[in-house]
Amino acid sequence: MMKGDRKYIVMFLLPAAAFMSVFLYYPFFKSLFLSFFRTQGFSTKTYVGLDNYVRMFSDNLLGAATLHTLELMFYVIVFQVGIALFLAVLVDNITWGKGFFRTVFFFPVVISGTAIALLFVLFYNFQFGLLNTILQNFGFSKVNWLSESMALKAVAIPTVWHYVGFYFVLFLTAMSKIPSDFYEAAKLEGITGVKKTFLLTIPLIMSDIKVVITLAITGTMKVFEFIYILTRGANGTEVLGTYIFKKAIVDRNFGYGSTIAIYIVVFGVLLSLLANRLLKRDEITY
Amino acid sequence: MKKSALTIVSLLLVMTMFLAACGGNKPTDGGKASNTPSSTPTETQEPSKEPDPVNLRVFSTFGGTDAAREAFQKALDEFTSANPHVKIENDTMSANDDGFRTKVNTDMTNGNEPDLLFYFIGTDASEIIKSEKVVPLDEVLDADPEWKNGFAPAALEFAKHEDGKTYAIPLTGFFEGLLVNKKIFADNGVELPTDWEKMKAAVSGLKAKGIIPLSGPFDQSHYLLEHFILAAAGSESQNKGLKDAVDPNWAKGLDAMKELYDLGAFPEDAATIDLGMAANYYSEGLAAMVLEGSWAIGGLSDETKANTTVLPFPAVPGGAGTGKDVVGGFGTGFYVSKATYDNAAKKDATIALLKHLTSPATIKNIATANGGTPAAAGVEPEGVTQAVLDGFKMVSEATSVNSPIDSKVTPETFSELRANVQPVVTGKKTGTEAIDAAKKVEDSAK
Repeated sequence: MMKGDRKYIVMFLLPAAAFMSVFLYYPFFKSLFLSFFRTQGFSTKTYVGLDNYVRMFSDNLLGAATLHTLELMFYVIVFQVGIALFLAVLVDNITWGKGFFRTVFFFPVVISGTAIALLFVLFYNFQFGLLNTILQNFGFSKVNWLSESMALKAVAIPTVWHYVGFYFVLFLTAMSKIPSDFYEAAKLEGITGVKKTFLLTIPLIMSDIKVVITLAITGTMKVFEFIYILTRGANGTEVLGTYIFKKAIVDRNFGYGSTIAIYIVVFGVLLSLLANRLLKRDEITY
Repeated sequence: MKKSALTIVSLLLVMTMFLAACGGNKPTDGGKASNTPSSTPTETQEPSKEPDPVNLRVFSTFGGTDAAREAFQKALDEFTSANPHVKIENDTMSANDDGFRTKVNTDMTNGNEPDLLFYFIGTDASEIIKSEKVVPLDEVLDADPEWKNGFAPAALEFAKHEDGKTYAIPLTGFFEGLLVNKKIFADNGVELPTDWEKMKAAVSGLKAKGIIPLSGPFDQSHYLLEHFILAAAGSESQNKGLKDAVDPNWAKGLDAMKELYDLGAFPEDAATIDLGMAANYYSEGLAAMVLEGSWAIGGLSDETKANTTVLPFPAVPGGAGTGKDVVGGFGTGFYVSKATYDNAAKKDATIALLKHLTSPATIKNIATANGGTPAAAGVEPEGVTQAVLDGFKMVSEATSVNSPIDSKVTPETFSELRANVQPVVTGKKTGTEAIDAAKKVEDSAK
């Protein structure tokens, strides 16, 4: 590196660093600061030391919200990533219409989560929802789709569906990068069909799968609108995203809300590290 | 190693720069506020010949689906056409949204105050009053007797803050009550729920016919909690909140909710619906009763509206309620922000706008649109439906008119009560346990 380069490096780093500082580091450190205070609204706050953290560790609702988040995360990793991979394999194997399917599968990602959630309100509604209307037309009795035993699974469906297309496109792009001579060699060896997918395609895009799983984990930590609109966090669907909203915004207790924010960050980082460790493999370069 | 250290140092430098920049916002705002008084050495009521253009921001709840949205916009337009130099930004947000209070508090504390703010009266406003973001308007009221005497004395009395000063100028009041679909009751041969036994009989009778007896959500259980606790604890105890001792009658209110739940009173999906959906069930004739406010009547379907009457929620046996206690009053009003009041360029226009928006004529139009109780003396809203008149009658016969319970306890305590509605009705917790948990939250907020 030339000596003069340093100036340019700093110059080019500045805008991003500034942006990150304002919108990421400053709020983060401010939250850390606030988590040691008992706040009442915006104007009054008193230093309470570790009280908020003590409260956090005895907060049953936070524990429940964590478990619900983990359950949702399980559905997301298995079904969102699974379905995306399945669709990508299918689309990768067809010769024409790739563009069409790519658009169709990607489409839900473009729709706002709130709009999708409202759509599913109309599907699930007990009194006049689409699903119950269909059931009644066939002579069955109505089902409460958002009951205590089913609510989280019912909420998981739009959550999974919303982002399947995004991961699908990531997988498809990764697959298209695999050089065709790999497949030609496989063909000569007599490896085709399902075997080809499992022995060749999936191992070759493993690093992308890892990225997608990390994205899915961090994405689930942020789920909010589906829960908030479909169930309002009732019937065992409270997740971290909705719980922090209730504590910080509805209760106007920003001190405790900040404490939960710190918890979510730590929890999210730990989970991603764990996922990375579990999926550790040698990087493949073509 | 050295290089990376340098990068980190420069990053830190950048970060601190921005931190400093962020912190620097407040002083400039403070500077603005303290600068302005010096430019207003004399207060002249007389407008100058060529008034400078003034831009005002009015933040209110009159937007979206609000019944009075058009009436409010019309009132603003009247003002701007009479005062062409004033431009008004009509900024709105729904009060149903939990974010409304946050938006107001953020704006008020970050130097982004609206000139005129339409906001709640009571504990919700104590923060902005305590931090002197809004000004007391008693002097302004006294300076214009004609304007002051236009109000119903009860309305101004209700709007007074606990320190005895008037910060908010009321527009229309409200009542809450049990909206009852008379036709459903008559068709199914069930008596109207004028007392607790009849309420239970009505719930059982309607449930057997496949009709939702009482539509209400468990999460947004504001109206359920307000009425059940008031009906069990009575006016005096409800108004005390949970600051001192716990009144065992409060728990009776929650237990009464469970009693009705066990009879099948609530919708199957009460745990997950919101207020809008609950009102929708009633409006569509799927439910026979709903606990709602006067503002909801205007939004009902025409058929349901015509069949609706308003009753006070019956007293819970063994409690201190009279069965004629109602929730109501003047829960909202216009506030003038301190920054605007101290700004000579804006003050007169803002006060003039305030007077226009709370003139008997405007109050009448708004009350006609939203079915609220007019805050002006001797004003009768036009074309009011029978249901609203029934509501006015209910209020006039009431033994007490109380502001809602969420204005008596801290927001956290109220959230705790809301969160416990479902556990109580399904039997996971008792009413006493729920109230004790709420009391604990109330105490820790001291």
